[in-house]
Amino acid sequence: MPKFVILLFLIGCSTFTYSQDEVMASSEVIKFKEQVIAASKMTQTITSDFVQYKHLDFLENDIETSGKLAYKAPGLVKWEYTNPYQYSVIFQKDELLINDGGTKSKVEIGSSKLFKKLNELIVKSVKGNMFDDSDFEVSYFTSSEVNKAIFSPKDRKIATYIASFELHFNKLNGAVTEVKMVEPSGDFTQIVFSNRLLNGTLDDAIFTN
Amino acid sequence: MSLFTSCSLKTTEGLRSVTLDKTEVFNPYFSNSTTDYVYKAKINIYGRYFGGILIVKKLKPDTHRVVFTTEFGSKIFDFLYEDDTFTKNFVVEDLNKKFIVNTLRNDFKILISERTEVKEQFASGNNTVYRTETNNRFNFYFFDKSGNSLERIVNSSKRKEKVEIVFSSEVKNVAQTIKINHANIKLLIDLEYFKKL
Repeated sequence: MPKFVILLFLIGCSTFTYSQDEVMASSEVIKFKEQVIAASKMTQTITSDFVQYKHLDFLENDIETSGKLAYKAPGLVKWEYTNPYQYSVIFQKDELLINDGGTKSKVEIGSSKLFKKLNELIVKSVKGNMFDDSDFEVSYFTSSEVNKAIFSPKDRKIATYIASFELHFNKLNGAVTEVKMVEPSGDFTQIVFSNRLLNGTLDDAIFTN
Repeated sequence: MSLFTSCSLKTTEGLRSVTLDKTEVFNPYFSNSTTDYVYKAKINIYGRYFGGILIVKKLKPDTHRVVFTTEFGSKIFDFLYEDDTFTKNFVVEDLNKKFIVNTLRNDFKILISERTEVKEQFASGNNTVYRTETNNRFNFYFFDKSGNSLERIVNSSKRKEKVEIVFSSEVKNVAQTIKINHANIKLLIDLEYFKKL
């Protein structure tokens, strides 16, 4: 058999295996949730790099942006894009502090349920522990690489913005490795984390604008 | 001194009417269907500031998709322009007001329109200017003297300027920065082309 055919066969196989998600058995779901909850409980700080891919079906290439994430318990999150532009958002209790390439602004989260929900999703997804969220139906999958939790909104208004929200977890330590938000149109935003550092020292000053 | 139909416009002050050297004016900035035009956007509307990402794609001749998202990727609006047909695919609830949608629709229509019939041509010390006419509105296309680089477009009624779009372009046919400024509403849109990672 020519070499390239073997190669094709192997690539084909590995792609096939990779995309093979199995529905988790209920006993596995319990174990998996326990693992993520335990990991999230011992999380004081997280710093991580990320790459974000915005997929729009009509584009040649996904739009790629990247940056750094910082989390400090119980609920401080700084999301910072450094490439190709400087933009950061600090999520605080009821407001967002934005620094858009030097232009600073503040957004009150206020009474908008949708806005609150979207912010909550971002904050919670950093740790992954959002299984008890009553606004979502959760289904669980496992592949050879990762565990996956897929959240589908029950609320009709949220469903006009998000078809599903997908979290990927490291099988060994329960850490979130990827977040994917799929829109009703099928377009999606995928965020892949790397260089994750757990419980390092993180000064509060990082979370000021 | 010649008489202009638009003599009361500031835009045409100091310009001489000359004979047409072309029948169509060409805006090259969104004309390549293999390019994903992606811009960081900064928008100031009545003192309120917000940022996002503007994506423009030419899908086929006379068809453009214009999508605006937040930095996190959620869609704010999604417009489709096919010839003279406009489709509002999606607009986030807070912005889905007739006045806002129409303003954005008209701004981006000016921005993506590629070829328009020239009604009148002007010259000045620094520019060659072409006037076009669409739905009782004029667009004045200011090119540099060589005629190669489109520097700005002024949109006006017969008497008043409405919108000014200023381009800066170092690479041919790519607008590095675009400023869209409105005369009668406090809306300023600043766009900066994505640098390669």
